[in-house]
Amino acid sequence: MAQPKEIFVRLDRCLGCHSCELACAVEHSQSKSLYSAISEKPTPQSRVYVEWVAPDNRLPVLCRHCEDAPCMHACICGAISRTEEGVVLTNTNKCIGCWTCVMVCPYGVIGRHLEEHKAYRCDRCPDLEMPACVSSCPTKALVYRTVDDFSKDVRKVASREMLSGEGG
Amino acid sequence: MANNESCYVIIGASAAGMAAAEAIRQSDSTGVITVLSEEPVQPYFRPMIPFLISGKKSAADMTLIGQGPYSGTGIDVKLNSRAEGIDTKNQTVMIQGGDLVSYDRLLIATGSRPYIPPEIEGTEAEGVFALRTLMDASAAADRASEADHVVMLGGGLLNLKAAFALLERGLDVTLVVYSPEVLSQLMEPDDAVLIRDALNNAGLKIMTGCSATHILSRKGGVNGVLLDNGQEMSCQMVCIGKGVFPNVNFLQQSDVQVDQGVVVDRFTACNAANVFAAGDVAVTFDPITGDRIVTGLWTNAVEMGRCAGYNMAGRTTEYTGTFGILNATQVADEPFVSMGIVHTSGTDYETHVFSTQHTYRKLVFSEDGERLVGAVFIGDISHAGLYRYVIREKMNVAKIKPFIIKQTLHYGHLMLP
Repeated sequence: MAQPKEIFVRLDRCLGCHSCELACAVEHSQSKSLYSAISEKPTPQSRVYVEWVAPDNRLPVLCRHCEDAPCMHACICGAISRTEEGVVLTNTNKCIGCWTCVMVCPYGVIGRHLEEHKAYRCDRCPDLEMPACVSSCPTKALVYRTVDDFSKDVRKVASREMLSGEGG
Repeated sequence: MANNESCYVIIGASAAGMAAAEAIRQSDSTGVITVLSEEPVQPYFRPMIPFLISGKKSAADMTLIGQGPYSGTGIDVKLNSRAEGIDTKNQTVMIQGGDLVSYDRLLIATGSRPYIPPEIEGTEAEGVFALRTLMDASAAADRASEADHVVMLGGGLLNLKAAFALLERGLDVTLVVYSPEVLSQLMEPDDAVLIRDALNNAGLKIMTGCSATHILSRKGGVNGVLLDNGQEMSCQMVCIGKGVFPNVNFLQQSDVQVDQGVVVDRFTACNAANVFAAGDVAVTFDPITGDRIVTGLWTNAVEMGRCAGYNMAGRTTEYTGTFGILNATQVADEPFVSMGIVHTSGTDYETHVFSTQHTYRKLVFSEDGERLVGAVFIGDISHAGLYRYVIREKMNVAKIKPFIIKQTLHYGHLMLP
């Protein structure tokens, strides 16, 4: 099986504009339009959270779809499973809103939809080529790549920096 | 047939047993895995059984195999096969009827059973339930359809969930609690105010500080309860939720070391060779206090079962213990999480409480204030997993303490220096 793509964060590029949060909530609305999503019930929720750490760091946090997903094993009703693409999914129909997943997620990225009494989290936008948060990011702080491609990118940038350092 | 395949036998087909089977299959694709279950039905998610009483879910909705992480193939679950004893010399398990099942590696995952206080008379009567199995819940649902008033003995989580299931069916429900407040195992009375309000608003009648001495019955089953304060209540159904204790009786004739539960080492192995134990039946330890504990929690049982499964299949995996208290749920409209050390009255733990009309968050730090050791969140339970992580890793919290106390901790605080 081809290596699946994942959402990576380039911390140095995040401006903290929260565009990803907005795009995520809209993509997870019924209408998929910002104008109607605002008044929808149940209220569409973002599954990515842009956090701030002093003095000046912004950090988009979202489900890492952990290889050893604690939420999946802790779930007391079998609502959480992994797809062939490696995405850890919460089956909303099965979720009973016991919040065990919230209690065990070390990233704090599982939300509680209060109106629906269901847990929700990043589903990597199964209907889109590229997740909404990634497409919406104006600075490309979020990237959608395979692990190999992403680390190759990181190596390229690093070697370019080293070379320019030596040359200068 | 000559084969070199390992023969794994697991006694118990619930959280620990099935999680172990799954872990073994991940590590050993050809080993023969046999799971012995005393129950007459296929494995199910036990914590869901209250939904059978409320009628919100069917037994089919609770099926375990094929759901969540339970997708492993070639796991043979033998129903109606209660283990009667084990012979660790010849490596066999005797099951009901006298048949012997041989093993190369054995997991004891027999779980626990409800504690029925012997001082209460009349607990044998028809219409008295201690909800443990799908069959119990099914029978309770039948009884509930003929009842008007149910008395619940014990104020723990199981009874609260069952009480709500019965309220949803439109029954009158009275909860009789010996402790001064409900959920006394999971929080202190002062912590439980919001939950108590929610329970009252939902129509649950609660009597604290008293207990039942007699369950009264006549032909047709239970018809009342006599309390230690002399009060008599009429009812048609009683549920006992007074905790659980490990299922170890079948080990009496064996040389497996039992001290309340089955004693295991850091790698979930028993004193007898090739025998492992996990879940409610096993004695584990609390990584915070180091205390030896037996817990009765699905989540803990799965974690320990997986660990045992890996060890059985030869992937040496250390079990890191579990909090004695590690609960998340929602009662009435009030979600809550309770984990680690939460009982602080009369101790020197440093505690911080953040309280609003709708939210209560208590944090417990070690005496020197350097480590987070417990938390109770009611109403707003967001980021609970992060706090659990901080507790579990025994982090020095000096740098992040203000965020913890102000309840603003997020992953960025842990990741960035």
